[in-house]
Amino acid sequence: MDLLLDFVIVGVSIGIVYGLVALGISLIFSGLDIVHFAHGELYMIGAFLGISVIAFTGVPYFWALIGAMILTGVLGVVVERVFYRRLTRGGGGYTVAGMGMIICGFGMSVALQNVAYLLWGAAPHPYPVSFGMPIFLGNIALPKNYFYILICALILMTVLHTFLTRTKLGLAVRAVAYNKDTSYLMGVNVPVMISLIFGVACAMAAAAGVLIGPINYVQIEMGYLMLLKAFAAAVVGGFGSLPGALLGGIVVGLFETLCAGYLIASYKDIYAFLLLIVVLMVRPTGLFGILVKVKA
Amino acid sequence: MTRYPSTKTGRGVRNAIVACAAASLLAVSGAASAGVIKVGVSLRMKTETGEKYGQMVVDEFEAINAAGGINGHTFEVKLLNDECKSDIGVANATKFAYQDNVHLFIGSSCSSVSLPIVDVLHKAGVPMLIPHSTNYKITLKGSPWVFRVPISSRFSAAAAAKYTAENIGTKIAYIWASDAASQADAQKFYEYIETFHGEPPVYAEQFQEGEIDLRAHLLKIKAMKPEALMISAQSQDFARGLVQSYEVGIPPSVKRIGGSAASNRPAPILSGDAIKGVFFHAAFSYADPDPKVAEFVTMTAERYGVANPDHDFSQAWDSVHVARIAIEGAELILTDDSLAADRAAIRDALGTVQGYVTLGGGVVDFCADPTPECRDGNKTPVLIEYTKGGEDYEIRVIGKTTFGADFGLASMAEEAKMLRESLDN
Repeated sequence: MDLLLDFVIVGVSIGIVYGLVALGISLIFSGLDIVHFAHGELYMIGAFLGISVIAFTGVPYFWALIGAMILTGVLGVVVERVFYRRLTRGGGGYTVAGMGMIICGFGMSVALQNVAYLLWGAAPHPYPVSFGMPIFLGNIALPKNYFYILICALILMTVLHTFLTRTKLGLAVRAVAYNKDTSYLMGVNVPVMISLIFGVACAMAAAAGVLIGPINYVQIEMGYLMLLKAFAAAVVGGFGSLPGALLGGIVVGLFETLCAGYLIASYKDIYAFLLLIVVLMVRPTGLFGILVKVKA
Repeated sequence: MTRYPSTKTGRGVRNAIVACAAASLLAVSGAASAGVIKVGVSLRMKTETGEKYGQMVVDEFEAINAAGGINGHTFEVKLLNDECKSDIGVANATKFAYQDNVHLFIGSSCSSVSLPIVDVLHKAGVPMLIPHSTNYKITLKGSPWVFRVPISSRFSAAAAAKYTAENIGTKIAYIWASDAASQADAQKFYEYIETFHGEPPVYAEQFQEGEIDLRAHLLKIKAMKPEALMISAQSQDFARGLVQSYEVGIPPSVKRIGGSAASNRPAPILSGDAIKGVFFHAAFSYADPDPKVAEFVTMTAERYGVANPDHDFSQAWDSVHVARIAIEGAELILTDDSLAADRAAIRDALGTVQGYVTLGGGVVDFCADPTPECRDGNKTPVLIEYTKGGEDYEIRVIGKTTFGADFGLASMAEEAKMLRESLDN
């Protein structure tokens, strides 16, 4: 029983991180109709920026998290305005530019990785924060950083949910996500909302990067596997659904940890993608996705 | 932009310039190959530390050139980064062998890279001097072109296993990364414990290189209550596993053991305090009181800003000097037509290197037979324990032991036969 509880704690903690990255992917997909393949690199850059914020300002870990989110959010806006936006000039907006956006996303992924290499080098960086020894409840070890991940993720989700559902700006974002042309006719500044969506999504990726930093190390190649896991989480939760992304992350994290725990741990990465395939076969819309043939 | 056709006079002048340039280039390249020993170096230089020991190799050869070279010959060294990736390493070796026509290849750092390079250089007939790779299969392949300066995993893992069995216990859990060196370290470790102490592994599983979450393995290990935990992986994966082993609550009383890569500089930096008490096997310790070691440490601190060099540094240095000693005794012609003969002469000269004392205190003895007995030069692993982690980490030497040249080979006869057959195909 203790072992099962241990596996659940580990699975939820890693699953929440998958969920945060998936949240950004889903947000961009729901708002812009594109799959952003450079999102893993923004997660990596966010983690590096967290280290840099601590190194340059000496602020505590929580403020480094906020600082990294702001900086990565701004970077996301710049990337969207300077690079991706140009692809939509042929007309038809992001929906029509979809394939070009996907290819550009791959290119951006390589470019961002090389920028990170120039700035921080190829060596892995330990996170300059210590949570100390875990808390022991009998045989169960509860590392303090897992609590931190859980609490921060809940706060971020609540803030995002409140922003999207309780504010005028959030309403405008949802309107743009639903139909850009009608939103424009209703007086919504669509380009600004698109930039906002991109910025918020990148800030979420940065939060995931900073939260996983103390468990993992930060290095330029860390985005690739996380992106794949986050895609799995987004698909399991339902592509485009924000609560689904977070729940999908937790389901993927739990599933792979329990399978690794009770089956063969060497194949841990396979289990997540096995779940992805099964979900696509049985319920292609995911847990919370809505089957939409053509968007309004 | 509008392009204008060239005039007849203009074309004539241009052709003359091109012809002159081509003639000068031919003359220069012809002159450069006479008396120049070309060395191709391919190392893992993904980190600043890797770049520094790569630069040290180049600097050491340049120092030999500055002192007048060897028998009037000078070195021309080309340094490439293989990033510890076998495809890049093979591409580097192929380029060195067929395009740059090197006389000697030095590399690689990673066993996963060196293993396929053996096949490439065996077919090309280029002598290969290995500075870092420890997987026992490299020399078991039986290529006459391969020489290894570092300690084969058949010696080092056995030394660590013997120490563990005698001082800690035999109930051991193992996890190892999927790279060749880590696999071999763990495999030879538990084979020793099984063979000499009759105790099978409590837990033995492989994980993917770069896997971010090893806690599923570690939680299972925690439930099995082992006496020791071996994490055999490259420094980053090792550090991650080590830190996570404390996170999941494996008690400090369970002794943590590293493979040879635990000696690499990033390991204690990334692990922090978690590395205190961890022991591993290596070829060198900067804490060795030998004056030669102190001199080397002063050199790396002054030239490269590395005050606590690991065995990747020392073995890179040793490899250059083993090459120097061999080439001093080689009769080289060094013309464009003598490439094959010069390569063979360097190979034969390497086979005569005897009694070279490494910075770590081991002795490199090579001989002509293409067998592991002759080509695993150093047989003296050092057991080292970390006493402090972080940037200014500290270590202490637990002990050294020297093995007979044929140690562990009796059980490898079948594997050796298969590897030799694959090399000849």
